[in-house]
Order: sequence, then structure tokens, then C-alpha cells
Amino acid sequence: MRQPETAAPSADPVLRARLVEGIVELLPGVLGRAPADLSERTELIAALEMTSVAALELVLRLEERLGLEISVEGLERADLATVGTLADYVAANLLDEE
Amino acid sequence: MTALADVSGYLPGKRVPIEEPAERLGLTEMQVRIFRRYHKLAEVAQDPDGDLLDLLRGALAGLDGLRGREERVRYVLHARAFPVVVPYPMNPARDLCGEYGLGHAASFTVSHHACASGLLAIDVAGRLLADDGDPDALALVLTGEKAFTPEARLVPETSFYGEGAAACLVRAGGSRDRLLAYAVDLRGEFDGEGAKLTAQFQEEYAECLAAAILAAVERAGLAMDEISLILPHSVNVIAWKRVCRELGFPVARVVLDNVAVSGHVFCADHFINYRTARTRGLLRPGDRYVMAAAGGSAGGVFAAMVFEH
Repeated sequence: MRQPETAAPSADPVLRARLVEGIVELLPGVLGRAPADLSERTELIAALEMTSVAALELVLRLEERLGLEISVEGLERADLATVGTLADYVAANLLDEE
Repeated sequence: MTALADVSGYLPGKRVPIEEPAERLGLTEMQVRIFRRYHKLAEVAQDPDGDLLDLLRGALAGLDGLRGREERVRYVLHARAFPVVVPYPMNPARDLCGEYGLGHAASFTVSHHACASGLLAIDVAGRLLADDGDPDALALVLTGEKAFTPEARLVPETSFYGEGAAACLVRAGGSRDRLLAYAVDLRGEFDGEGAKLTAQFQEEYAECLAAAILAAVERAGLAMDEISLILPHSVNVIAWKRVCRELGFPVARVVLDNVAVSGHVFCADHFINYRTARTRGLLRPGDRYVMAAAGGSAGGVFAAMVFEH
């Protein structure tokens, strides 16, 4: 499985790490299966065949889990490239941090 | 040149939150949350005690331009998103013709352009009138369907259908609401089922619809910055934000008022949104505006018409 480099993170590293961890933990529940070796470089669409609706569900579950409010309107396919790019999107689109 | 002599829209009084059809359709709480948060849908219009004929009657009741001109109506076109909208042999459009003194008119259905069939019907009506020989001849385009089957209640991962109707009186000439151009893109490669095809359709949706709008605008000899308003199909808000991003067009000039209060009213949305625009005073004489719609099922359809008010 190809594991591309993700974009250089610009968010608070502690927050970003929490987001990556949260996404990795929530992925099996959203996908209905448990892929092995999930990391921030795991490709969501190419490797896991994640749909945009599944990604939205994941983001809403992430809100609940971390007590955050996230703007979902700008979520694009490019943001779903990897776990890391999705974490970057979330970090850049927080409406109200806890 | 084809022109719209009058346009009316009708939404029944009852609204139900999207949770109600969602429960009947077996959607999860999360799916409903996504519809509310992402697609900005909230309520759908319903007429639980009425049938399709009642919806069409509602539309005709508001079509003041028809009064006293019934004899001039040569054609009645019922534009439908779904090919079958009532059990055989019912024919509500024909029944309506009898009630409103239009029994002499040739009546028929226009479909297979999904939710863009209303625009196709305007084009067909204009062509028939252009060949009619009588410059005073009129055509009546009807739209409206009942959300009476699971397929007619939900556009998966996209929208809920609402019940309503619209009527549009078409003439062969006239200075108000003149049709300047029409463009439609039929994408047969989207005819099929499966998650990958659905994902591809959703991925290309905004780009295809924006391309159809741009084609119509260019065919009219205009540029997007000369367009005052887009009257859309009320499928959801996020789809139109993406279309606007493709076009570089401000989403504030797309009439999206009815998305949250009516749902996606089949082929009637852009006509209903025309009435909303008129009520809000958004159209001034000389304004150029676009009616646009898109749909899927047996392939993808992306269509737009440019008018001058």
C-alpha cells in the first residue's frame, strides 16, 4: 500500500496529534471494518475507498468525541487524501475550540 | 423568441421536519445530521390529504395570466422527474385540462431529463409555438409530483423531495422573460448503479452543472458577470456553493431560500424560485438570469436556460 507524505502540518502539533489519533480510532466504526496499520499517512479514498458521506460522518463523530465544533461546508475531496490531510482540514476549520 | 408570459409556484401549507421521511426510509440519526449540517435541509413540503391533481390545481390557481386566454392554449406539457407519477390509468394533467377549459389542447408528458425536464418542456413548448403559425398561441408547462414512493422521497446522500407544483405560460414572442439560450448536457456514462459510479457522479456534479450554465450563458452572448441571478433546483445548499465556486459566481445571488423549507420539488424548483425572486424584488426589467437544474438516475442531466426579464 502506497503511503504518501502528507502536507506539512501548520496546526498546533498537540491538537493535530489529537485529531489524527481521534480519526484513527473512529475509522473502523465509520467504515464497518478494521483496516490494519492506520496512521496519519493512510490514504482514505485510494486505500480505504472512503466516501465523502463517510468522511462527513467521521468528522461529526470527531466533534462529539473531542468536544469540538467543526465547519463541514468546505470539506473537499482533496481533504480526504489521507488521515493527515483530514486532520489538517479539521484543525483549520474549528468554529469553537473547547 | 420564446418567452414566459406568466409563472406560478405552489407549495402546500404543511411542512414536516426531515426526520419524519428519514424515519420512514430507515435513515440513521447520523445521516439526518449530515443532511441538516452539510446539505442545509430542514423541512419538506407535504400535502398528505391531497393527490397530484390537487398540487397542479394549486399551481394553476396562481397563474393569473391564463385567465381569459384558455382558448389560445394549444399545448399542455407535464414535465416530470419520474416517468410514472400516478397509477395507471389516472391522468391528472388531462383531468386538469378538463377543469380549466383546456380540453381542446394537445396534452402530453415530457420526462427523461430527470429534474431538468421542466427546462426541456420550456424548450419543446417554444419550438412547437414557433411552428404553430399563430403568434397568439400559448403553451402551458406544468410541473409537480407526489413524493409517494421511497424513490420519490429521497435523493440518496443528496436531498429529500418535497411536494409542490408550478405552472408556466409560454408564448412564441414577447419582451418580458425572453428565453435567450438553452444548454443541456446528457451524460449517459452515469447510467448505472454502484458506489463507485455514485461517487463519480457526486464528484463531477458541480463541474458538469457549472459547465452547462456557462454554455448557456455563452450561447446567449453573455458572461457570468452579466448574470443577475441564478434560479436553481433546490437540491441542497452545498452543491450550489460548489457550482458557484466553479463559476466564480457569488452564492448570495443564487435563490436558495426554499431549500430548507420545501426540499427539492422535482422539476418545479426553478419556477417556484422565480416567484420567490419576484416577491423579494430581486428581478428588475432587463436583468439577465439563469434557471438551472440537474438530475440523475438513468444517466446524468445538467441543464440551464438564460432569460432576460
